[in-house]
Amino acid sequence: MTTPSQEYRRVSQRLVSPPLVGLDAGVNSLIGICRRRSSIVESFKGEAAAIDAMAPEFLELSDYQLQERLLDLRKVFHRGARKGEAVVQTALAAIREAADRQLGMRPFQVQLMGALALHRGFLAEMATGEGKTLTAALAAILWGWTKRPCHVVTVNDYLVVRDTERLTSLYHFCGVRVGCVIAEMDEAQRRKNYECDVTYVTGKELLSDFLRDRLRLGKVTHPGRRLIRQMLSGSGNQQGTVLRGLHSAIVDEADSVLIDEAVTPLIISAPRPNAPLKEATVMARDLIQSFQPGEDYVIDARHREIELTAAGAEKLIQKSRELPGFWQGPDRRLELAIQALVAREFYQRGRQYVVENGKLVIVDEFTGRPMPQRFWREGMHQAIEAKEGLEISDPAETVAKLSFQRFFRLFTRISGMTGTASEAAGEFWQVYGLPVMKIPTNRPCIREQWPDRFFVSEEDKWAAIVCEVERIHATGRPVLVGTRSVSASERLFQALTERGLEPRLLNATRLKEEAEIIALAGERGRVTIATNMAGRGTDIRLGNGVAALGGLHVIATERHESGRVDRQLFGRSGRQGDPGSAQAFISLEDELFRRYLPQSFRKSAVSLSKSKHFDRPVGRRAIYAAQRRAEKAAERTRKSILRADLWQEESLSFAGG
Amino acid sequence: MSKTFSESWYRVANERISLRPGVRVRRQNFRGERWIVLENPFSNEFFRLRPAAYEFVSRLRSDRTVEAAWRACVEKFPDEAPSQEAVIQLLAQLYYANLLQYELAADSAQLFQRFKKRRQRERGFRLLNIMFMRFPLFDPDRLLVSAMPFIKWVVSPAGALLWLIVVGFGLKVVADNFDAIRVEGQDVLSPGNLLLLYAGMVFVKTLHEFGHAAVCRRFGGEVHVMGVMLMIFTPMPYVDATSSWGFRERWKRILVGGAGMIVEVFVAAIAAFVWANTGPGVLHNLSYNIMFVASVSTLIFNLNPLLRFDGYYILSDILEIPNLNQRAMGQLRHVAESRLFGVKVSESPARNSREAAWYASYGVASGIYRVIVFSGILLAVADRFLILGIVMALICVISWVTVPLFRFAKYLASSPRLERVRPRAVAVALGGIATIILLLAVVPFPRGVRAPGIVEAAERTHVATETAGEVKSVLTKSGTEVQAGQPLLKLVNHELELELAHAKARLAEIDARLLKAMNEGSADVKPLSELKQSVSVRIAKLQDDMDRLTVRARHAGIWVAPELETFVGRWIPRGYSVGLLVNPASFEFAATVLQEDADALFDQRTRRAQVRLHGDAHVPIQISEWKVVPGGQRTLPSPALGWRGGGDVPVGTAEAEANKSVEPFFEVLGKLEPRGEISLLDGRSGKIRFELEPEPLLPRWLRRLFQLFQKRYQI
Repeated sequence: MTTPSQEYRRVSQRLVSPPLVGLDAGVNSLIGICRRRSSIVESFKGEAAAIDAMAPEFLELSDYQLQERLLDLRKVFHRGARKGEAVVQTALAAIREAADRQLGMRPFQVQLMGALALHRGFLAEMATGEGKTLTAALAAILWGWTKRPCHVVTVNDYLVVRDTERLTSLYHFCGVRVGCVIAEMDEAQRRKNYECDVTYVTGKELLSDFLRDRLRLGKVTHPGRRLIRQMLSGSGNQQGTVLRGLHSAIVDEADSVLIDEAVTPLIISAPRPNAPLKEATVMARDLIQSFQPGEDYVIDARHREIELTAAGAEKLIQKSRELPGFWQGPDRRLELAIQALVAREFYQRGRQYVVENGKLVIVDEFTGRPMPQRFWREGMHQAIEAKEGLEISDPAETVAKLSFQRFFRLFTRISGMTGTASEAAGEFWQVYGLPVMKIPTNRPCIREQWPDRFFVSEEDKWAAIVCEVERIHATGRPVLVGTRSVSASERLFQALTERGLEPRLLNATRLKEEAEIIALAGERGRVTIATNMAGRGTDIRLGNGVAALGGLHVIATERHESGRVDRQLFGRSGRQGDPGSAQAFISLEDELFRRYLPQSFRKSAVSLSKSKHFDRPVGRRAIYAAQRRAEKAAERTRKSILRADLWQEESLSFAGG
Repeated sequence: MSKTFSESWYRVANERISLRPGVRVRRQNFRGERWIVLENPFSNEFFRLRPAAYEFVSRLRSDRTVEAAWRACVEKFPDEAPSQEAVIQLLAQLYYANLLQYELAADSAQLFQRFKKRRQRERGFRLLNIMFMRFPLFDPDRLLVSAMPFIKWVVSPAGALLWLIVVGFGLKVVADNFDAIRVEGQDVLSPGNLLLLYAGMVFVKTLHEFGHAAVCRRFGGEVHVMGVMLMIFTPMPYVDATSSWGFRERWKRILVGGAGMIVEVFVAAIAAFVWANTGPGVLHNLSYNIMFVASVSTLIFNLNPLLRFDGYYILSDILEIPNLNQRAMGQLRHVAESRLFGVKVSESPARNSREAAWYASYGVASGIYRVIVFSGILLAVADRFLILGIVMALICVISWVTVPLFRFAKYLASSPRLERVRPRAVAVALGGIATIILLLAVVPFPRGVRAPGIVEAAERTHVATETAGEVKSVLTKSGTEVQAGQPLLKLVNHELELELAHAKARLAEIDARLLKAMNEGSADVKPLSELKQSVSVRIAKLQDDMDRLTVRARHAGIWVAPELETFVGRWIPRGYSVGLLVNPASFEFAATVLQEDADALFDQRTRRAQVRLHGDAHVPIQISEWKVVPGGQRTLPSPALGWRGGGDVPVGTAEAEANKSVEPFFEVLGKLEPRGEISLLDGRSGKIRFELEPEPLLPRWLRRLFQLFQKRYQI
């Protein structure tokens, strides 16, 4: 039996104020700067030392006594946040002792600082290998004690299961029920796991459960109204939401979840017959058969757009004369024709999609994985099916949609962890109200960052990478090569195999295996090729004697649009004070430069450099400029999407949530 | 172009939405096109739809989903039905206009937020429009309804006939008394009349507003707001007759727009009767003022479509272009975006080139007019209240200059419309600004100083009497060319004659006494000889004086003494100037240069000077050399240059000060080269133009501005 207030909380969510504009935004960003000032880190350091000083008090307690203390503390936290705040140091000291006894891991002071930061709603920037998992657990226990729904959000299901398994004993010892939700679970399992005090889950699952809950609720989303309706009808939790409500969330790899993938909306869709659309796409395909590029239309490769020429427009009118009424609206026929042309010009079999068993399957361009569950929207999928002569499928119709960006703004309490946050500190503050705090490393980082190497052509670059891998490999040090795309990783794999090396290749297709491969990437003499995303969240421990050789060497084969991703890759080596080194190989033909630097710049850079290489200062500046441009563009896109979303939210509020 | 199928369709697809009960739907025609106007009677808000969109809206019912309505619409009008994206937009707009009824109770938090936002915007708008602040006071609707029998009678053919008769007679009265009206008109803006003028204005404008309200109500439009507008801090009545926008017939809308002026003209006609039939007094003056306000202000402000007063609405109804101003701005923006910035997706609000021409010309004209009016207002306000004026000027500069500039910068920096062409747009905008600044600040423009002045003869001597005397006769007529030594004037002086006679007699006596003394060998000889000497000298002097009674020309020239004839018989003291001797061969131009312009002349950056005389303005006379008389003076070379004499130089108001300038000026004397075709005559007035070294405009304007401040506010 749930109490009315619990029932209320199941659907209540924070009222999100729209992003500030103008002067307000300026003042707000000043506040943000103030909130992440460095002096706060110092005070946290002091608190962590105070917690450390309490250690002897708990060291002497028996397990039973310790647990009793923990349960007392739980009661304090359950009673109210303010009372909990007073004993937070004691609580952390007790949990620390529990972690030591249950897991054999004693949180370092920096982890205590991290836990404090998480507890107080900061975004803790902690270097790779500093024990973010345990840090999150410390804070999650504090929040779990309050009995408010607490979610620990990680990046993939493998990590969800691994972390839950690893930490369950600690949670149970502290009197916190812990559960996890992964893709394969059915509704009952999910419900059971969400009922736990702390739930480990991926962002995707959490959001889709939230959306399904909303669909289940129907139109009455207002918590008060829903409760009244329920009380009037005299029934219990009829609609039965799966979630207990969105109260708190601790987001791991916050930059990837909250920034990089933030605007990709999660869509719950259902196929729905749409005969006119099917018909129209086939007609459109036939209609554009005779259209010639350059003559009837112009291709804008940069913006991926097609524009009809005057001749093409005339042709379109001529041809659509005999077609049914749907084609007589000038805007509509243009739209359909252009979509068919776009399907013809920009979507290539084998690159963006493959055909399996007479069905169109989208291929993820970064990971190279086929994604059978994904569909292109707004008739594009059908247009490509028509182009391939496949049977036209029913278009998937959206039934619910929400972006991560907006979803995470709905939480009452949110904090996060990541290895790289400072670059986006402003955005974290403006969008989520999260001040970034840089937690110092436990031991100083002694990774050597070797200077970047610049090449004019891509070929030269790859040749040099192969040589470099061979050279390092000869010394016995393990090498990790990060590539941007699956195809690149495969090419490199080929090249290295031809040279007689035995590289391991992983590209984010099989999560668990990959985690094992990458965990072993620190063994002596290993060569591992991985896409940037592969094996996130897994530590690379150095094998025996590797530290003496100089540790892991990381080679980045390209720079990413965001400096954060580069840093993450480099951060794979030199964890927890281990030795290590990292280097990037860059060519002027890299995607980053092709997309974000003007053609003229690249040409002049080529002509300036007489040999295969080009100037390092020029290259550094180019990287800086291109990354800056890329990040600005991405930030603008995210903000405009958020604005558009909010506009729709407001203007369609008559249609319910 | 909106997409047929929308990603967000699911948000609305299954909603059951309809128009609110009570929403009025009317058909209107604009430039031959049909539009549907939805009116929300509670808030007096309007919403215009294309017929295709209305086909969809009319299918919305509370027992049918949006999806079903849309499908029905697509089936019936496959080519014109709105796309899903357009439907979503449309529903959102209808929602904002409070025209929708939907199943759910409204999200009250959302509603409050909207209300707050709206109020904030209204406040901001009020602050930005500080010159036209509005304060609603009361709801005249019930008053109008109870007066409806009267209104119905007035707004009718009979009323129109009455109007024609009264206004016709009024015009006749005005025509009969036109001269008197003109004379009285000179004092309308004098300080003593301002209060009365204002009283007349409030009276007339109140009737004016009631005119709008009555006609609007007569045709069924509700009128709920009447209040006071602070127009440039002057309280004026206003009324909200926007419900007339929903009228289906164009002539009704035009009539509502024109009702104010119609009433005013009627009132002016009655005032003309009153004025003509009363003697000077308060009533007389008041009715004159009413007449003035009702005619002049009507013509200048109300009928003028360039500002958003009655004329604007009438014009947009006549042209059948609602939101003319908005569209004009849209058109200008479109031109800028597509031509200058190269935006491809920009769409013109005009449907054909004629409409586009209307928009563009209206936009430009009203823009220029607004700048002129606003700067006039600024100066006027600043003139009257110094501190307030500066505050106001600041606010106005913020709202009319800074805010638009800021918006423009923001638009350039972040408008999604410029996504693809931002570099070009920024380059064009910066280039444009740079060009303007360059033109103003760097490129020198020819520059000159103009000053009024008069022609003076370079050689001119005052002919003065050297002896006092009575004018006996004028020997040479004024205007005659005379030779040196030619007698001009004959004076008589009887005293002098007597004195001469007396002196002569005394000389005779002394001679006699001298002879006697010489005979006697007396010692008196010596003193007597000396006495004789002195008397002789005196006689010679008197004789001289006698000769001087005939005034002669000292040198050749033209004898100018136009008033001399009237002097005959009058006693003239010694040294009195009776006329001028002017040398016709050389003339000077004496110009009065105001202080502000004088610095340029002292700098000796002057290139050349040119004089154009009034009446012969087409013939420039070159001035080869000139000199500036250093030291300011206040006595004009001729009263003709002052205000009282019809010139440009401000002079004192008293009769005696007709040639005393208010501000000191510098005199510049330039030598005129005589030219055959122009008769140079002493005293002819004209203008001199000094051509200075070319100088860019910006520093010149700045200097002018500082001078203006200095002059007006003694800063």
